[in-house]
Amino acid sequence: MYSCRMPQSLPDNTMAHIEIDNLSKTFRVPEREGGFRASIRSIFRRKFREVRAVDHVSLSVEAGEIVGFLGPNGAGKTTTLKMLSGLLHPTSGSARVLGHIPWRRESAYLRKISMLMGQRQQMQWDLPVLDSFLVHGAVYGISRQDYRKTLDQLVELLDLGDVLKKQVRTLSLGERMKCEICVSLLHRPEVLFLDEPTIGVDITMQARIREFIANYNRQQGATIILTSHYMADVTALCKRIIVIDHGRLLFDGVLSDLSERLAPFKVIKIDLTKELDGYDFAVLGHVLARDGRKVVLRVPKGEAAAITARLLTDLPVLDLTIEDPPIEDVIERAFANRLEQVDDGTNAPAPDGKGAGS
Amino acid sequence: MTHVVRAFLAYLRAAIGVMFQYRGEILLWAIWGLINPAVLYAMWSSAAEGNPGGEAAGFTRGQFAAYYFIIMIVGHLATAWDVYEMGYMIRTGKLSPLLLRPILPIWKSLAENVAYKIATLLFVVPMWCIFAWLVTPTFDTAMWQFGLGAAAVLLAAALNFILGYVVSLVAFWVTKLDALGEVYFGLGMFLGGRFAPLDALPEPVRWIADGLPFRWMFAFPAELLMGRITSQTEALAGIGIQAAWIVCIIVAFKILWTVAVKRHAAVSG
Amino acid sequence: MMLFARVSVQNIAAYRFDLVVRIGVSLMHIAAELLGVWIIFTNTQTLKGWQWQHMLVLVGVYRIIAGGIRMSIVPNMRKVLEEIREGTLDFVLLRPVNAQLLVSIREFVVWRVADVLIGMAVAAVGCVELIGHIPVVSALIFSLMLAAGFVIVYSVWLMLATLCFWFVRIQNIEMVFWNVFEAGRFPIVIYRPWVQWLLTFVVPLAFITTFPAGALLGDPATQIPVMAPVYAVGMAMVLLLLSGWFWRFGLRHYSGASA
Repeated sequence: MYSCRMPQSLPDNTMAHIEIDNLSKTFRVPEREGGFRASIRSIFRRKFREVRAVDHVSLSVEAGEIVGFLGPNGAGKTTTLKMLSGLLHPTSGSARVLGHIPWRRESAYLRKISMLMGQRQQMQWDLPVLDSFLVHGAVYGISRQDYRKTLDQLVELLDLGDVLKKQVRTLSLGERMKCEICVSLLHRPEVLFLDEPTIGVDITMQARIREFIANYNRQQGATIILTSHYMADVTALCKRIIVIDHGRLLFDGVLSDLSERLAPFKVIKIDLTKELDGYDFAVLGHVLARDGRKVVLRVPKGEAAAITARLLTDLPVLDLTIEDPPIEDVIERAFANRLEQVDDGTNAPAPDGKGAGS
Repeated sequence: MTHVVRAFLAYLRAAIGVMFQYRGEILLWAIWGLINPAVLYAMWSSAAEGNPGGEAAGFTRGQFAAYYFIIMIVGHLATAWDVYEMGYMIRTGKLSPLLLRPILPIWKSLAENVAYKIATLLFVVPMWCIFAWLVTPTFDTAMWQFGLGAAAVLLAAALNFILGYVVSLVAFWVTKLDALGEVYFGLGMFLGGRFAPLDALPEPVRWIADGLPFRWMFAFPAELLMGRITSQTEALAGIGIQAAWIVCIIVAFKILWTVAVKRHAAVSG
Repeated sequence: MMLFARVSVQNIAAYRFDLVVRIGVSLMHIAAELLGVWIIFTNTQTLKGWQWQHMLVLVGVYRIIAGGIRMSIVPNMRKVLEEIREGTLDFVLLRPVNAQLLVSIREFVVWRVADVLIGMAVAAVGCVELIGHIPVVSALIFSLMLAAGFVIVYSVWLMLATLCFWFVRIQNIEMVFWNVFEAGRFPIVIYRPWVQWLLTFVVPLAFITTFPAGALLGDPATQIPVMAPVYAVGMAMVLLLLSGWFWRFGLRHYSGASA
């Protein structure tokens, strides 16, 4: 299936699928004050501001892993993915994916990867879906049997039977998403970069896409790096989470560890039999919510048991549950922590304009 | 190699499909290519009439008709719009998905270019014939001039495409330069012999025109096909120069493309 | 209309450097057109009676009209076409203002006035070169004919835009106008008689470019009919009424009221 030319970098099976070492990307964003004078001056001497979109990130990913990249807008997630897919050249550092250097953009490498950017369209707008698939097959050099086989599988998995003959412009958003996913998998990539794959899609479709990705990973053993805003994406799919903010890697590990380290709390929800004034909950823990007979309390993990016992003794409790804090809170604390910890003036905000860093 | 051919043909098929969908718009674009030479012919034939010898710039009315008839054909076959499109593709992030593919985006552009010419053929050829019938051109063409001329037209089309594409790469550095396309077009108009045959240009401009590729994109095939270039050596040299320009620009493309992609900020839209 | 203009100016003020660049591009265009005239007249003395001074005026008129079109007509028409295509024209129809008026004046590209000014300068130079000064009467008739020409252009554009109620997909229908307008770069006398007839009575291009240019010069060498101003005004009124009627017809079709 691959061309007879030797690829410039030989894949090495003992290496991790993805190796990133001190990868950095700095954008120079032109800065200009308003006003006519400044406009003229800017012709002669341009002032630039340096934005570190990715700041010395190192990590490695094994074959078949699904890794979640988490971070607020402008954190550097998309920029990292773009470097790994060869779209961007890094400012410094190195990376190898499947043994190749991504930004060399070797044909052999590009045939093994796939990138799904939520808003982007890979299909011909005015033609039937099947035509776009055929073009993709030709462009990626997929043999006819492989194409047929993969297409049939994907059509069944994604339930695309009715959609194939329709023009792309007439598809609903959900149908289009499914087709985009199908087209990006036709060449059976070994590595998948999914950038906000469920953005703008309704809840049911989100769940189905997640299910599909999980299945694909299981069946094909593809390595998947996923960025998302939606915690549900991450919790459903990724055992391993990487938290990025301001281009720096904040956390790399298992999701439960993240809670453990950053938010070692438990949330106690109490439902009382009757309204109670005068009981000081604040002394026990942080009161998250209070509404008549219901109280939500956040307490340190270690003290949860003791506090629960105390509450049960002191109060007329109808119902009591102990939960882990919502993952959104965990992540939020991670970022808040970051800003407190490292206040060395590198608070470079995300560059303005269309998403040069994300 | 066969992989690229297969991909190109797939792009071509898809592009023809799209062109057919937009046939109304496509035809409107093609019409300019018919009207502009016709108007210029009318003007130059009036200019020739206004001179005692019935000639202007060494062309008789009939020769102007022949010249602009061929310019009409060459102009149409030389259509290339990448110099206008590239900035738009980069700004809107539409280039990124193309960069992810294992073949160069230029193949898609070439396929769309060829598809346009195929799709418009059925319409423009009768129009050309009608124009020729109306203006009664004077041809002095021998067989060898016709043969070499046909080759010159094909080379001119190739040259137009590749030069346009390379110039469009400027958009990687200066994304807001919308005027680039217009400047490029204007140069082709004046220095390529579209507005006026090169013999009509004053000496210093003529001298500049000879050194640039534009002459070989329009004026040369036109002069050859109408029988104005009588020396076989000169004609063959011209073909050689066309080919040389194409080779040089392809080399420039290979160098510039790698540099350009590095500059691509992969802006998302 | 003034409100729209003021907003446009404020927008432009925010991008003053772009403004400089755009005016530079306009100057580039006129330079190319003047270069063309120069090349022509180093090879001949006259285009069917029109000399270089006459041509200068014509170039000026062409630029004035083109600038005026791009200043007010093009942005409005493009917006209407987009709304027809996306089905958002309804919002316009709901307003308590006459739909035709609203879609005609709400967009305004102020900086294009540079084109108009440049065109006027070139036309003035052409006139002065020929007769040494600009006669007041000629200037008045010139303005009248320019205005008539502009109304004719507007009517034609409105009819083209109305066609989009039926041909929704053809977003570049404005190309029909620009394609034909190309022929107006030169005086219509260079064409054969039947083409001249076509460009006067079927597509009133002569009224838009050649006749106004001739009016400023008042020179019989330009061969424009003596009654041209009268015809121009008449043509303008007829087309205005016709296009307005056609627009309303199209609107009814859009709202599904007619067959």
